[in-house]
Formats: sequence, structure tokens, C-alpha cells
Amino acid sequence: MPIGADLVLHEEPDTESVRNHGDALGRVIERTAARWKTPLAIPLMDLRLEKTDLLARIGVTRKDAEAFHFTSPLDETTFAALSGGDACPACPGSLARDRALAYIAAIPGLLPIGMAIGPFSLVTRLMADPITAAAMAGRGVSADDSDEVRLLLQCLQIAEAAVARSIRGQAAHGARAIMICEPAANTSFLSPRQLRAGSSIFERLVMEPNLRLNSILEECGCDLIFHDCGELIDAMVEGFAHRLHPVILSLGSSRKLWEDARLVPADVVLYGNLPTKSFYSDGAMPVEEVTRRAQELLAKMKACRHPHILGSECDVLFVPEAREAILKKVDAMMAVTDRPVPRGQAEG
Amino acid sequence: MAVFMAQNKDLYDAILSGDAKKAHATTEAALAAGVEPMTLIQESMVPAMDEVGRLFECEEYFVPELLLAGRAMKSAMELLKPRLSAAGQRMAVRVVIGTVKGDLHDIGKNIVASMLEGSGFEVIDLGTDVSPERFVSAVDERKPQVVCMSALLTVTMPAMKLTIDALRTAGLRTQVKVLIGGAPVTMQYAREIGADGYSENASGAVGLVKNMLAGEAA
Repeated sequence: MPIGADLVLHEEPDTESVRNHGDALGRVIERTAARWKTPLAIPLMDLRLEKTDLLARIGVTRKDAEAFHFTSPLDETTFAALSGGDACPACPGSLARDRALAYIAAIPGLLPIGMAIGPFSLVTRLMADPITAAAMAGRGVSADDSDEVRLLLQCLQIAEAAVARSIRGQAAHGARAIMICEPAANTSFLSPRQLRAGSSIFERLVMEPNLRLNSILEECGCDLIFHDCGELIDAMVEGFAHRLHPVILSLGSSRKLWEDARLVPADVVLYGNLPTKSFYSDGAMPVEEVTRRAQELLAKMKACRHPHILGSECDVLFVPEAREAILKKVDAMMAVTDRPVPRGQAEG
Repeated sequence: MAVFMAQNKDLYDAILSGDAKKAHATTEAALAAGVEPMTLIQESMVPAMDEVGRLFECEEYFVPELLLAGRAMKSAMELLKPRLSAAGQRMAVRVVIGTVKGDLHDIGKNIVASMLEGSGFEVIDLGTDVSPERFVSAVDERKPQVVCMSALLTVTMPAMKLTIDALRTAGLRTQVKVLIGGAPVTMQYAREIGADGYSENASGAVGLVKNMLAGEAA
């Protein structure tokens, strides 16, 4: 659970130096798995790394990378520089992530898990207005007719190459499964109205690149864990579950996992999905409500007999003043797994 | 009269279908035919964006359709703005909007800005990573009736409270209604920090602004 590594990281006096130091970060991930009694060594969720590494190729500094957006189609030289297959340069965070995987891989009983942003979600971080471009493409506007669509398709190519470099690097450092996170592959970015009308936009922008990445994972001997905490329609869930066929499918709190079980093959474990984005607020999400929801989810997943791991819907970025509030809810959520489900909750 | 009505309908349809090129061309033709900019706004653009909002509420439209409609509306508005200022006309209600300090996300904020503009409000978009001081300056200098703040991250949400506090310290809090929104934001949080309102989506934000101002006028 990404939320766990983030919380444990912030127990360190110098968070930034640990984040950028492989062995120290590895120890954080090891402690996280031990604290919440899981063999899954889920790393820190830092979905900025691939963008930082990608933009370093054209001289954008780490400091400027997050706010950087392309606003017009890329020229040939820039496109070539961003598309290259070589793994360097890598930012300190990426080097630490890879080194932490090697650290975890040496510990018996822990499964080293890597993490990368998905190509479409990376595209949405590379462009100032990805939704309009995707909507235009979804309407059939071609790259020849629109600079925005041209940029969108160029960004998709460089994003896929960047993610491919990242997962190859993580596999080489010992990852046995990699979590690909596509939170932007959702109904805010891709219109269900267009999909209902027969648009292939979800296929072109999300499924095709991820299917190619899945082949790379297979070549590397890595399992796919697929994460998407966005608002989804059933067809998206089915596409991820059946065609990507991850070992674990992690979904956001907008989904009812016990209902999604019918959309997912029996050998795909569902993961999640308590609303961790609200954990900072005792008003919006009191600890008793966390316990109630965790019990309900466990009971309903047990009733539908689909394999399930209780966890968070997503990362929650560190909020200093809310640390205790978040931590007590994570503890409450995980404590539920230690107790039998109360009688009667498995129904309904 | 028939030509005028057809042009109005064309602009309405262009915005509803998110066709920016058609919206621009139709507006150009209407202006050339002598139609007043305010007439186009009130009789085509505002009703079109109202309908877009209605379709969004009933899940016929989604965020991409909102953005396409907003873009079509903007392309028409670009032609109208210079004429409105030349005629000394301005929208009745002014809104200052921005994503709070430390937060670079602007998609939600842009959608709200587009919907507000399309609903006939004058929108001053301060962009992203807007400090409390910049919000205060904008309120002081531009005298809006409404301030809208957006945050996508739990880490940046506290900047909303800091901004409201800064408005209070500057003696400007009572002059504006403050609305907040963004993925992690809740009604409860809005109450906790002393905001006047919260909306979970762009269409709701437009309705909230209208209701608040109507309530104030009543």
C-alpha cells in the first residue's frame, strides 16, 4: 500500500535525503511491509520520476520538470532526443527507487515491487491541456488537422518509451512485479459519450501502449499490477482485467469491488479500495467509518468469493498537520484484517 | 429577423457541440450582420452553456464535452470582448479564480472558469500556484463579487484557509463570496475554513455562484 511507505518515510528526520538514497529508501519499504504485516514490498508512489527523467534529456532541470508542459508539436530533434532507448540520465529519485528494489530483493520473504506511471497518465502531465486534445482525437480529428492532436500522439510515443525504460531498469534491479499506475485513464480525460458512440480513443491512448508494456514485463519475467484510481466505466475495468490480465487490479474508491468482481477474471486479485484521499479529515472520514467500510468491504468480497487484498485506493500526499489522523485510520483499516468479519456483514 | 435567429441558433449549436471553428465563424457573421455582442451572449452563449451544464448533470456530457464547449465559447468570446470594452460594457458579475499556492493543477479550475465565462460572468483567471497575497491583490484591485479557489492535492488544501485568512486580515473578506473545489475538498472542509460554498463539479459551481448572488440580491 503506497500510503504506508509514504507515512513511514515521513518518520525520518530528513525525508528528502532518504527519498533519494537507495538503501535508506529500501529500509523504509522493508519497515512498511513489516509494520502492516504484508509480504508485498510496495514502494513509495512517486509518479513524477518518469517525467523528470524524460525531460532531463532535453535539459529541463529536476526543479522545473513538474511545472513544464509542451504547448506545441515537437520538432524532429526534440522528438528524437525524447524517444531514445538508452536508460540515462536518471534523477536521484529514480536511482534510489531502483537501488531500493535491489535492497528488497535481497530480503527473503519480501516481494520486490516496482512502480511506474502509465503512458497515458504521463502524457497528461506533459501537456497543458490533454483533455481537449484527447476529446478532439476521440472525435476523429487527425494529427494532420490539429497541432493539439499531433502533440498528443507525439507525447504518447515519448511517454511509452519513457515508461518502457523505467520498467526495464526496475526489472533489472530485481523487481518481480511492477505496478503501472494509470490514474488519468478515466472518464474525466476520456469521454464515455465518445466511447459509447464507437470512438477508439480508449484503445489507442490507453490499451495499446499498456499492452505493449505488458509484453515487456513478460519478457523481463515481471508480473503486472495495474492501478487506476480514477472514475471508470465498466468497459474500462473489463479492458484492464481481461486484456492486460494483471495479477492484481487496484481500483479507486468510486468502484464497488464486490460488483466489479463479475467483470474481472477469477485469477485477477482485486486490491483496495478505501477512500484514503479523505483520511486527512476526521470530519469527512472518522476512524469509526474507516473500520465500518473496511469490515463491509472484506465481508462483501468474502461473500462474492473473489480474491481480494484490503488496501488504500491511492497514495495520499503527506500533510504534516494531518499525519496522526491519517496514520490512525491506516492502522484501523489494517486492524480489521486481524479480526473475523462480524456476523451478518457478509450479506447484502 | 429570421437570419438573426438562425445565426443565434447556429452559435448555440456550435457551442453545444463544442465546435470552436463554427462558433468563431458564426459569431463573426453575426457581428458583421449588426447583431449586438450582448445579444449573442444572452441569447446564444448563456443558454448554450446552461444546456451544457444540464447535460453534464444528467451524465449525457462529461468533462471532455465541457472543455470542448468552453473552448467553442471562448473562440466566440474573443471576438466579442474588444467590442464590449469599446462600448464601455462589461459583465454584471466579476469572478476571480485560481489554483492555490503550491498546486499546479489547472484542469478543474479551467473548466469552472470556462463554464462561468460561458454563463455570462467576467472571469479573471489568476492561473495556478496563486499565493494568498495574489488573491488579496486581485480582490483589492479588481473588486470581484466572487473568489473561486481550486486545489487537487491534500497537501495544498491548507493554502485555501491561508487565503481566506489573508482576505480577512486585509479587510476584504466581507466584500466577496469565497467558493472552493477540487478532488479532496469537501463541504465539511469548506465549513471548517470559513468558505461560503463548495461544489464538487463545474456545473455545480456555476449554479452556486448564481444562487449566492441571487440570495444576496433578494
